[in-house]
Amino acid sequence: MNNTVFTDATKMSGGRSSKDAIVTLENVDKHFKEFQALKKVNFQVGKQEVVVVIGPSGSGKSTLIRCINRLEEHDGGRIVVDGTELTMDIRNIQAIRRETGMVFQSFNLFPHLSVLTNVAMGPRQVRGMSKVKAEELAMELLERVQIPEQASKYPSQLSGGQQQRVAIARALAMKPKVMLFDEPTSALDPEMINEVLDVIKELAHDGMTMIVVTHEMNFAREVADRVVFMADGEIVEVGTPKELFDHPKEERTKKFLSQIL
Amino acid sequence: MTWIRRNLFRSVWDGILSIVFGAIAVYVLWTLFEFVFITGRWEIIEVNLLLLLVGRFPEDQLWLVGTSIVALAFWISAASSGSPKSLDSQPSLSARILDSVQRFGLLSALGVLLILLAGGITPLYWGLAIIGGILAGLGLGKTRRSIAARAKIPNLLWHAAIIAVPITFIALTLSLSTLDSWGGFLINFYIAIISIVLSFPLGVLLALGRRSTLPIVRVLATTYIELIRGAPLFVLLLLAGVALEFFVPTELAPGPIFRAVTVFTLFTAAYVAEIVRGGLQSVTQGQTEAGKALGLGTSKITFLITLPQALRNVIPAQIGQFISLFKDTTLAGAALSVLEVLNVGTAITKQDDFLGQGYIYESLAFVGLLFWVGSYVMSRESQRLEKRLGVGQR
Repeated sequence: MNNTVFTDATKMSGGRSSKDAIVTLENVDKHFKEFQALKKVNFQVGKQEVVVVIGPSGSGKSTLIRCINRLEEHDGGRIVVDGTELTMDIRNIQAIRRETGMVFQSFNLFPHLSVLTNVAMGPRQVRGMSKVKAEELAMELLERVQIPEQASKYPSQLSGGQQQRVAIARALAMKPKVMLFDEPTSALDPEMINEVLDVIKELAHDGMTMIVVTHEMNFAREVADRVVFMADGEIVEVGTPKELFDHPKEERTKKFLSQIL
Repeated sequence: MTWIRRNLFRSVWDGILSIVFGAIAVYVLWTLFEFVFITGRWEIIEVNLLLLLVGRFPEDQLWLVGTSIVALAFWISAASSGSPKSLDSQPSLSARILDSVQRFGLLSALGVLLILLAGGITPLYWGLAIIGGILAGLGLGKTRRSIAARAKIPNLLWHAAIIAVPITFIALTLSLSTLDSWGGFLINFYIAIISIVLSFPLGVLLALGRRSTLPIVRVLATTYIELIRGAPLFVLLLLAGVALEFFVPTELAPGPIFRAVTVFTLFTAAYVAEIVRGGLQSVTQGQTEAGKALGLGTSKITFLITLPQALRNVIPAQIGQFISLFKDTTLAGAALSVLEVLNVGTAITKQDDFLGQGYIYESLAFVGLLFWVGSYVMSRESQRLEKRLGVGQR
């Protein structure tokens, strides 16, 4: 599709009008008791855009994407996903969760179900698809993440990298409009990181809208349309990978990059 | 020799311990042997065997009980051998024989003992009928497994069909005899099974209730659990003997067996609830989050994701609770005058032929044996279940 056009537009404007935006955050606040995890976060993600969120631990990156599908409840501001505002209304929450796929740091596969059943769970139970159809779809997705031969095994019989690829397939099975990745490679042994990143890269090439929280800077450089740097619950700096990594403007960004690169 | 030296006499201290405990073990075993084969006067059991096993159950209807047992044997073997989830590696023949002996050896030995004690030819026929039931069940299970690929019988239908067999006969037995004529070990077994079947779902509901986000449900469930767990079972049984009259008109007042089942069910449910709650807490938050992220609703997350894992994790504790319930059924005799096996066991020592001659040892030993074999089989089967469902594997 018009991936490049979109990307270029993003890069030039450094943001986009709400018309094209699929995820919009306006002045979002989030407190954990006294501690403020998010401070007036403003942020938009356009259709087919790949946004990578980086920052030191405790900076609010994970909280940010967990608020988008209401795994955490924000306590100020507005979050709109694909035209639906996230309110207390459970129907809105469910609608948004159906449109967003999430991949967790610790995979969170269902250990009592086979790999195939794990992937078929969403379409079957949420979309009401028949068992046969759901398992066909699950099989297609397992082929896409290149582990169809593991379909009848249980999660504990798979390596970490394989488990995370199953988790990606499970999220994709809901045909989401946005994919949220919460440090998808942080729990993996080093030799398995690339097999997972390759799957994510391929998704990006296919035009999936994604928000990725990660510490993999090379991945960010390669795949991101925009990189967001967060610290202390705030968005400090947003830019293309080139801008942000090579010419950071803010002091905190410079400091963080010098520590990790 | 090396084994003995390495395990029993590794040091002086080990040697002393081995000799002392060895001597104690030999003494205990010898006393037991002496009691069972030399000094024990087992005629009290022989004479009263039927009374101990089924109480005052009408003799002309005994065939109903026999047929029900055959039907149960048929169902259990059909259900367990027909399982489509076959193990990955086929164990060797000797391993399978050893496994069968471990599983059924003790139960079969008890069966043989009962047939010998009963004497005559009829009990032998029933023994053969039970073996026939087991073989028929195994055969049916095997055929199903081999034709499963072609003729797709849905799992649920299959299990419904085979469980209908024992249920039919048990229902027939219940309808042709009055429950209050049941007694002996039969009534212990009956009370235990019905209470297990009823208390399990009730316990699960209570556990879910205690974790509910609705305050009223939570408070009610918590109050119930804490009240029941705070009271001795025996007191509750005694209460059931008198208190039900407050709520039910006297002419409608149910018999002692009904009361016993009610108390055992309500009591065990409270404990099951706490066990299941522990299981639910052991399922990580990430599981719920993964379910939410997929868009599953609260009840689907519970019944498809967290509850199955929780129940799998608590099988050992759960079976332990049921074993304890099985043995506690003896309290129904003292509290509610149910004619259960312990009640019979003490009553027969007061028969004219046996009165005042210390027959209580033989009687209690036999009652104990029945419960021990029953509990052993339950705990053994729970271990198998744990292995099959992969407890401890994440």
